[in-house]
Amino acid sequence: MRFVLHLLVMIAVALGIGFGLSYYALTDGRLFGAARAGVWTAWPDIGTTMPNPYTRSHIARADVLQLGRSEGLQFTATTDSAGQPLDLACNYRLDGHTPMATFWTLVATDPEGVNLARKGGDIAIRSSNLARTNDGAILIHVGRHLAPQNWLELTGTGGPFSLVLTLYDTTAFSGLTSAVEAMPTITREACS
Amino acid sequence: MIRTLLWLLGGLLLGGAIHIIVILTLPSLAEETVWTRIAALDARDRVVVLPDVEPGEPNPFGLDPTLVYGVCQVDLSEGPAYMSGTMPDAFWSVALFNEQGIVTYSTTNRDGIGTTLDLGIFNAAQTRLLAQQQLDIEEGLLVVEAETDDLFVLLRLAPPHAAMRQRFKDELAAVTCSSGPSS
Repeated sequence: MRFVLHLLVMIAVALGIGFGLSYYALTDGRLFGAARAGVWTAWPDIGTTMPNPYTRSHIARADVLQLGRSEGLQFTATTDSAGQPLDLACNYRLDGHTPMATFWTLVATDPEGVNLARKGGDIAIRSSNLARTNDGAILIHVGRHLAPQNWLELTGTGGPFSLVLTLYDTTAFSGLTSAVEAMPTITREACS
Repeated sequence: MIRTLLWLLGGLLLGGAIHIIVILTLPSLAEETVWTRIAALDARDRVVVLPDVEPGEPNPFGLDPTLVYGVCQVDLSEGPAYMSGTMPDAFWSVALFNEQGIVTYSTTNRDGIGTTLDLGIFNAAQTRLLAQQQLDIEEGLLVVEAETDDLFVLLRLAPPHAAMRQRFKDELAAVTCSSGPSS
């Protein structure tokens, strides 16, 4: 009886660790192939010719046309800088600087990758069409409620969403360190 | 007590083994991949411009809505592939994907190639032949060696403004792409 109990516990632990760790590695992936910069996550190995096994599995799971290493790098944020999940019911403000790049784009998508911008409005924010502050920093408002200056207008009633920042021809992660010094912060504003 | 701990340790080790097997086999288990969906586009030896991303609509390839994309599938088993065209004067890039959906080569227009796209894709045997024959390679031709025969090329163009999208798409559709003996 004791043997069976031990065996069951061992199998439960093995399955939990085996599949749980795999799921974590391919979704959050922080200790595996993914790199974090503030609230932003990227897979720096994704566009290389020999990605590591975790990145390879992530590529198979994401199943999208990823950027080659020399083309650029994509960062995704699912929470604001306070750690709260991004919610469509709220407005958010992006402040700060981005790593050096020829240009970048910012889009908002739902968990399935569907673009949430208002039909007929701007589908994305592009770095070249941006009003900047005096020191060159960005200030972008994202959400359903009217906002001044740069505003990515979204539609929808509520629920989680992601912000995707794609840097083209960027120097991020190309140096000796894996640290990205400058990424915008995401601050929650009014909710309804 | 110690026996229970040993069983737990066994569970941990077995869990680690399961984890490694899952991570290593996952890429080969996927039935619908980028490759099968690109193959369904009928882009063999021609450039197909991918449809625009619309708000509220699914985006299966995970494309950036501000860019214009063109894809061409090539097979090097019969001969090298060749792609040529003139690109607009804005950011553009080219990436070579293999059957696993992994980028095996990529470059951008900043690599000194300006607005001229002139790309020759060779497999290992063809590259060797090219070197042995000591053929003069046309100046400006970008020679890329690929490890596998089945590939697709993805071109990304970044129109600075939405009003230029149609012109960029037209220029992308005019790019020639061929592989095999005829190229």
